[in-house]
Amino acid sequence: MDRISKVKHLSDEELALKVAAGSCSLFEELVSRYSARLFHFLRHRTETDQDIEDMVQETFLKAFRSIDRFNPEWKFSTWLYTIAGRSAISRHRSNKKMKPDPAVASSIPGPEEIVIQKQESQNIWELANQLPEKEYEALWLRYAEDMSIKEIARVTKKKPVSVRVLLYRARLNLAKRIDQSAFSKKLAGTAPAKHKLSFL
Amino acid sequence: MFCTVYKWLISQAADSGKPVSGFVKNHTQRCDSCREFAQLCESLKPKFAQDKHAILKNYDGMLSKRIISALPKEKAPISGRQRISRKSFARRRVLVPSLAAAFLVAAVSVSIIFIAVHRSRDMGPFGHPSELVNAASPEVLLVKAESPLETEYQELKKTLDTTTKFLRSYLDFRIGQQTE
Repeated sequence: MDRISKVKHLSDEELALKVAAGSCSLFEELVSRYSARLFHFLRHRTETDQDIEDMVQETFLKAFRSIDRFNPEWKFSTWLYTIAGRSAISRHRSNKKMKPDPAVASSIPGPEEIVIQKQESQNIWELANQLPEKEYEALWLRYAEDMSIKEIARVTKKKPVSVRVLLYRARLNLAKRIDQSAFSKKLAGTAPAKHKLSFL
Repeated sequence: MFCTVYKWLISQAADSGKPVSGFVKNHTQRCDSCREFAQLCESLKPKFAQDKHAILKNYDGMLSKRIISALPKEKAPISGRQRISRKSFARRRVLVPSLAAAFLVAAVSVSIIFIAVHRSRDMGPFGHPSELVNAASPEVLLVKAESPLETEYQELKKTLDTTTKFLRSYLDFRIGQQTE
């Protein structure tokens, strides 16, 4: 078995421990596993993709610097998402006074973008993306990262009960959005919506 | 009317991974809204998992490459301070204030003892025994014997004066005079 396939078989926690022990090159595998996931997790936090990419990069740099502090009792994803959340908060604080770029804010989507948006709207994550920031993040951690309520509470610095309430609200709001989406499709005649939840 | 409660229970069941209880099931058979919500909660997990792969697949690996290129090739050598683990740091955080408090208490006690010793030495009526021998007349001895009382009286007078001054300035009134 060559080195790459060996690395692919290692769990996140094993990789993190090896990086902490000095095998810095293995951190690249963690980056490739988590960069896209962190990107989607942080989508709500900023206006532009560039900012999200900067935040993801910042998160990985912080994680790399403090990998010695990683506690293998917890999942690596929990630790990384906690760092990402904190970085996003501190970045938000420092950029609070900055106004969004008017060119970006007023940009009108072109025909290609409209087609992409239509394709994306079929994806349930795009519907979830319309929810408030906290609800989207709770859904991402629950369903994309398969975290327990306790782990989500740790990442979001909330009590487990608050996380349950957040997920409950997210599900209710998502149900409403799906209803609207099914209804608009019915109006447009693009899809037969016999049932309210035909989306699923 | 109680649909909010039922929906909350359905959401709880989805979080815990357990099936909904019998009375919630009975309600969902009668209530369309709750039935749809229960169906949604059941279908969310596979749907989210399926669509997650779709959105991550669309994502290009440019960001990973950018991050990897920005990472330092080697970790910076850990200095002595950074080597201190979290646990020892926490222990230190508890120890430092208690040590400071102990030091403060020790300093206060030493100063109290020091002041008390010096005071008792100063307030001695005759000081060193040789002074008593050298004292010429009984009048001088009498004055010396009375001196502790005199000193105490002077001290009390001073204290009273300063207290009166302080009260006067603080409360803004004059003793023996009517305030306007």
